[in-house]
Amino acid sequence: MHSKTSSYVGLLYVAPALAFVLTFTVYPLAQMVWMSLHNWSLIAPKKYIGFGNFVKAWNDPQVWTSLEFTLKYTLFITPILMILGYLIALLTAENSPMRQFTRSVVFAPVVIGLGASSLLWYWLFSYDFGLINRALIDLGLITRPVVWFGADADISMWAVIVSIVWKVIGFGTILFVAAIHAIPGEIGEAAMVDGASYWQRVRAITLPLTAKTILLVTLVSVIGSLLAFDQFYIMTAGQPRNLTATSVFLIYLNSFPYLKLGYGAALSLILAGIILVCTFLQMLLSRRSHA
Amino acid sequence: MSLQISTRYRSALAGLLAMVALPAMAEDLQMWERSGGNAGMVDALVAAWNEKNPDRKINLTYIPHTDMVPKIAQAIASGEVPDLMGMDLIYGPQFEAAGQLVDITDKVKDWPELKTAVQGHMTVSTYEGRLYGVPLYADVSALFYNKDLFRKAGLDPEKPPTSLAEIREYADKITALGGDVKGYFLPGSCAGCNIFTVGPLMWASGATIEPRDANDEPLQGDGVKEVLQWARDMIKAGNVHEDARAETGETFHLRFGSGKIGMMGTGNFNITLAKEQNPSMDFGIALLPGVKSGQVSSFAGGDIVAIPMGSKRIDDAIDFMKFLLSDETQVEVYAKMLNMTTRGDMTENKYFQAEPKVQQVAKAIAVAETPYTLKFFELINSPQGPWLQMLQRAYYEDTDLDTIISEAKAQMKAIAAE
Repeated sequence: MHSKTSSYVGLLYVAPALAFVLTFTVYPLAQMVWMSLHNWSLIAPKKYIGFGNFVKAWNDPQVWTSLEFTLKYTLFITPILMILGYLIALLTAENSPMRQFTRSVVFAPVVIGLGASSLLWYWLFSYDFGLINRALIDLGLITRPVVWFGADADISMWAVIVSIVWKVIGFGTILFVAAIHAIPGEIGEAAMVDGASYWQRVRAITLPLTAKTILLVTLVSVIGSLLAFDQFYIMTAGQPRNLTATSVFLIYLNSFPYLKLGYGAALSLILAGIILVCTFLQMLLSRRSHA
Repeated sequence: MSLQISTRYRSALAGLLAMVALPAMAEDLQMWERSGGNAGMVDALVAAWNEKNPDRKINLTYIPHTDMVPKIAQAIASGEVPDLMGMDLIYGPQFEAAGQLVDITDKVKDWPELKTAVQGHMTVSTYEGRLYGVPLYADVSALFYNKDLFRKAGLDPEKPPTSLAEIREYADKITALGGDVKGYFLPGSCAGCNIFTVGPLMWASGATIEPRDANDEPLQGDGVKEVLQWARDMIKAGNVHEDARAETGETFHLRFGSGKIGMMGTGNFNITLAKEQNPSMDFGIALLPGVKSGQVSSFAGGDIVAIPMGSKRIDDAIDFMKFLLSDETQVEVYAKMLNMTTRGDMTENKYFQAEPKVQQVAKAIAVAETPYTLKFFELINSPQGPWLQMLQRAYYEDTDLDTIISEAKAQMKAIAAE
């Protein structure tokens, strides 16, 4: 009797959180699954088509192009964010005023909205008026302006990567700095007494003891890159020839401008599945390396 | 006593009703219009209406152009619709077919003004013989050419090109002037700009572009390939600025006014704009030609005004439509602002007579076409659609043009069949 009452009380305690999760996670997810099984437009009656949207996605070459581009972007940007972020963290970890100031400067772009920063970089990369072309010409690195967006998919991707590295690198850096600060000072001192060089200490002490943070930042970076949208929507608009249209861009395009909510929902579920697999693999690999 | 109470109750009730009814009567009509269209024109039209109708003013809200269709669709789905809305005319058929616009046929059937209203707007406002909207404003495309550069290149500024071959010939001479000057302009990443300015080159050459429905064949006629070949050759010959490839439409309207382009297809809106940008530049306007001399065409674009299903002010909205088509509005608002009148019989007016360039561009209305399809955005206007993909491959790749066209056809047919 007592245990039954206490289980009710327990349920009551978790009820608000449960209601929140049911309303804002479970219900929308179920609705999305339901939607993905329909030919669903906001302006016309919906029609049940079973797994038709998933079959269509499998046969849609643009889905594969977008997925390939999204993975390529993720594969390129993640190591840059990790390595550069970690190097900056190592350089600025010590709490001197100059290094603290540098950390703040590196972190500052993180607080700017992604839309605003994308627009800023769109104009910095402008063919006619952009600072980047002007600077590269003045430095003698190029002889004529580069068409950064809309001409070549790889050039467009690298331009976006530059802008995103500037925008988000501070986030990883701050987490890495916090993790480095958490390492007890005496470990490093003992290694110094034993004659370990700086890079030996980094390799044998700092890296292993910050591994969990490295995993966290990698995870956040990979998920963020797989979900990339704003930067490509603003800077490349998927051009040239949809070669820079990321998976989320494709979902947006189908769901809203094309009004194909059912197909958009199916694509969203596919992407969610891919992200889930990536996350699971990453965690599995991390556990194995710890074992 | 009972009578007193009853009277008091009645008075109180009447008072309450008045409190509820009065604000409702004085309430503004809510109108949505896409941004990125001809905002100056729509602002002026609404201001003119509000001045004459202080008791039923229009409250105008601009919706970002790219969000307009989803926003309207969401509004319809949630029942929170505006009383009337301006929409890019090419989306008309899609919403009419879905039964989301109010059928105004019976309310306007006796209006004489409709007989001379711009044909393209009226066509897309009609679905299965019923009318769902009237023109809000019209844009037409034409060939703008820089007379100063013509003179410098040894060309006669009073003889604009009349065929694609002549455009090529003139463009070569203008590009040869050197510096940052180029003979022509082709927007490389803007689907809408291309249907507005390259589409007419194909129509004039006898081709068709979009499929009207699932049973219609897209991209018919030799004109498609001929125009694509011409465009590819123009780009390869260096007659188009390199950064045109990245033109998404953001700066399209500013290109001609830069004074660095010999000729380009653009719209009537560029008359005022180019004058503001480059007051000393001398320029002329001609019709967009086809492959052969004498073939001409234009794209009649712009917006229609329609009433979404669920609007509570249908009669007021109809009155606004009547106001738009009235003689006075046509002359004192549209023509005065040097915009196209939306009635063909109103082009002879004092404002147009004082500005020959507007008269010149107004000639395009007579030869203009407006695509009619239920899936215009997906087929044509989308930066990800088959129309722009076909053009980009033709402009910047060496792939065989027949292959490019047949692949674009297959994509268009698949979209139309969905």
